[in-house]
Amino acid sequence: MTILYLLPTLLQGLKITLIITFLAMLLAFVLAFLAGFGRLSKFRVVRFLTAFYVEVFRGTSLLVQLFWIYFALPLIGISLPPLAAGVLTLGLNYGAYGSEVVRSAILAVPKGQTEAGIALNFSPWRRLRHIILPQAFVMMLPGFGNLQIELLKGTSLVSLITLADLTYQATILNASTMETTMIYSLLLVIYFLIAWPLTRGIRWVENRLSVGRY
Amino acid sequence: MSTPLKLVKNLSDEENNYQDISKKKQKQPMVCYDKISKSYGDLQVLKKIDFDIAPGEKVALIGPSGSGKTTLARLLMTLEEPTSGTIKVDGELLWHQKIKGKKVKANEKHLQKIRGKIGMVFQHFNLFPHMTILDNVAAAPIHVAGIPRAEAEEQAISILEKVGLSDKFNAYPSQLSGGQKQRVAIARALVMRPQIMLFDEPTSALDPELVGEVLGVIKDIAQEGEMAMLLITHEMDFAKDVADRVAFFDEGRIVEEGKPEELFYNPRSTRLQDLLSRFRGR
Repeated sequence: MTILYLLPTLLQGLKITLIITFLAMLLAFVLAFLAGFGRLSKFRVVRFLTAFYVEVFRGTSLLVQLFWIYFALPLIGISLPPLAAGVLTLGLNYGAYGSEVVRSAILAVPKGQTEAGIALNFSPWRRLRHIILPQAFVMMLPGFGNLQIELLKGTSLVSLITLADLTYQATILNASTMETTMIYSLLLVIYFLIAWPLTRGIRWVENRLSVGRY
Repeated sequence: MSTPLKLVKNLSDEENNYQDISKKKQKQPMVCYDKISKSYGDLQVLKKIDFDIAPGEKVALIGPSGSGKTTLARLLMTLEEPTSGTIKVDGELLWHQKIKGKKVKANEKHLQKIRGKIGMVFQHFNLFPHMTILDNVAAAPIHVAGIPRAEAEEQAISILEKVGLSDKFNAYPSQLSGGQKQRVAIARALVMRPQIMLFDEPTSALDPELVGEVLGVIKDIAQEGEMAMLLITHEMDFAKDVADRVAFFDEGRIVEEGKPEELFYNPRSTRLQDLLSRFRGR
């Protein structure tokens, strides 16, 4: 009975959670590749700038970053709506972690692969595109899988910048109904149910891409 | 290696060979190393090497590990840059180019132009593990030469048949034996029709029983004649059978070079005598 009363509100929050997760994931994915390659650049300036970005976002708290972008940035004239602020913060933060996954996977492709590419006269771009990346990408997947789930759970923090996500709705419901045990149990189950297909999805891609290997 | 060197001399053959070599030498060399040195920090692995390879010539490099043989090949394949000296391929500078009469370091475009004439087979095969055998061989024709996929695959198939792998097109490298892998690697380099092919200890990573099949394929290719070959090997019998000329490397220098018969039957330097007696002793 109580579940039927609680669920519609929670599912409303779930919608926001999914939207934020999806958008932040896209942003993080793009940033992970940009920064991952940036750290391997032959230009020192690029290496320095990307290292600065990565270390700042890995070395500070996600919650503080969120507050800073939502509450402090407006003071220097840049106001973002809560959704944009949430997506931007999560994207920047997990993009920084993801860049390390990208960088280490590219470095883990054996040097002989690059040499075989040179010996066959592949251009640097085609070496990357056809020889290095296909091998590195498979190695990135477990790392990306972890970060994806971390990111999903990280979205619960956006409830603190007024976004009506899953956690926000649960907090509101708790205040009005006092069904604490039921509400937070439901919350755990719902987060788990979103995380599960994400894990399976990554594993599925991993299996498909490693056909014939090792 | 259990078989001893076959010490049979054939004088008239030798004379014919000699004329052959001198005729080839009149043409512009395929590759010309000029005072090439290479150092890693304080360690000098190549010491002012002068060395030519004629078009179509098969040259074997022998010598102890760490003597600089592999580095000589890697410099030619542009995998490493010489510390000093120049290399010419088919009359053109490899690591340098002339811009307005000034010699400057070659850019990627120049390297790609010259590199197209060179192919290489590695000790550890370096096949692409994410591609089928057919794709391994067809990749360069498609992505480097820009040939349509269907045509590239046809070329790949015919060359894979030549190295005896017609039943493995859709297998992945991980499913092959070492000898099969190396034959794919040879096919992959051959399909680009290089003018010179470098073999960097092509059988050193193989189980003994698989060495023969790979050497057989290399011999077949050598007999077709057209392509120059630089063979870095520890297989003395093979070097003697295939090479027009053998160079003995030690401590970054070419200590002795000449026709295989000369080197193997009358080694002048004590270092080469030592090396050969160790092989015979096995």
